[in-house]
Amino acid sequence: MNHAAISVIKVKDTLMVTMPSDPDDSTIAALQERVLESMERHAAKGLILDISAVETLDSYFARTVTETAQMVLLMGGRTIIVGMRPAVAMTATQMGLKLNRIETALSVDRALEIVDTPPKPSGNHRQ
Amino acid sequence: MIPVPSSGELAIRAENDIVVARRAVRDAATQLGFGATDVTRLVTAASELARNVFKYAGRGVMRWNSMQAETRIGLELQFVDDGPGIADVNRAMEEGYSTGGGLGLGLPGARRLVDELAIHSAVGEGTTVTLKKWRRN
Repeated sequence: MNHAAISVIKVKDTLMVTMPSDPDDSTIAALQERVLESMERHAAKGLILDISAVETLDSYFARTVTETAQMVLLMGGRTIIVGMRPAVAMTATQMGLKLNRIETALSVDRALEIVDTPPKPSGNHRQ
Repeated sequence: MIPVPSSGELAIRAENDIVVARRAVRDAATQLGFGATDVTRLVTAASELARNVFKYAGRGVMRWNSMQAETRIGLELQFVDDGPGIADVNRAMEEGYSTGGGLGLGLPGARRLVDELAIHSAVGEGTTVTLKKWRRN
């Protein structure tokens, strides 16, 4: 597998990344680098990570996604995971994998709405 | 119905062999009739253990064997290396304990995904991790 398997696209002001079904460790590591570069280049508001094709979420994958989300947060963005398969969700929970501070959504549409919402609702403030 | 017995062996020598190991376990477990979630559990456990072999020993072997006991069908996976070994197996099974800079979730996490997980290890000689999972009929 090569790094070209991961593509980062921009939708509105948000980065969208679709993970391949069975990425090797270096592809997962490359994800982190590509995302952070793209965050800066596009001044993106957040990251939507589509894992609907992903069949195995192990501790290495979970750790990299969590770290990436923390870095995106430091750069002022939110990370939303979309499309976790039921078997993957059950396995991750049973293993005790913690996806700290990462938001999830059932669909990309819903994730785009979340990215557009300010992280801390503060009354009637508008942009 | 009893599926065809299945067994095999795979060398783990490169990072990409973790992916190859996952595919082999997915194929074997699917062939034995495990349900989708149990296939995912087995593949995820195999991913953790194959990575441990590569990360700590550099190289090793994964073996898989179908199991049959009366009407029960299962899959046994074995990860064998002649790496540095584990000094304290009990600590290695504790959640959050890691000597490799990880989360310390690999071994304890894998144990929760299968019916049995046994570790035989001696410092300087290597490590063998055997795990078993039975199909729910």
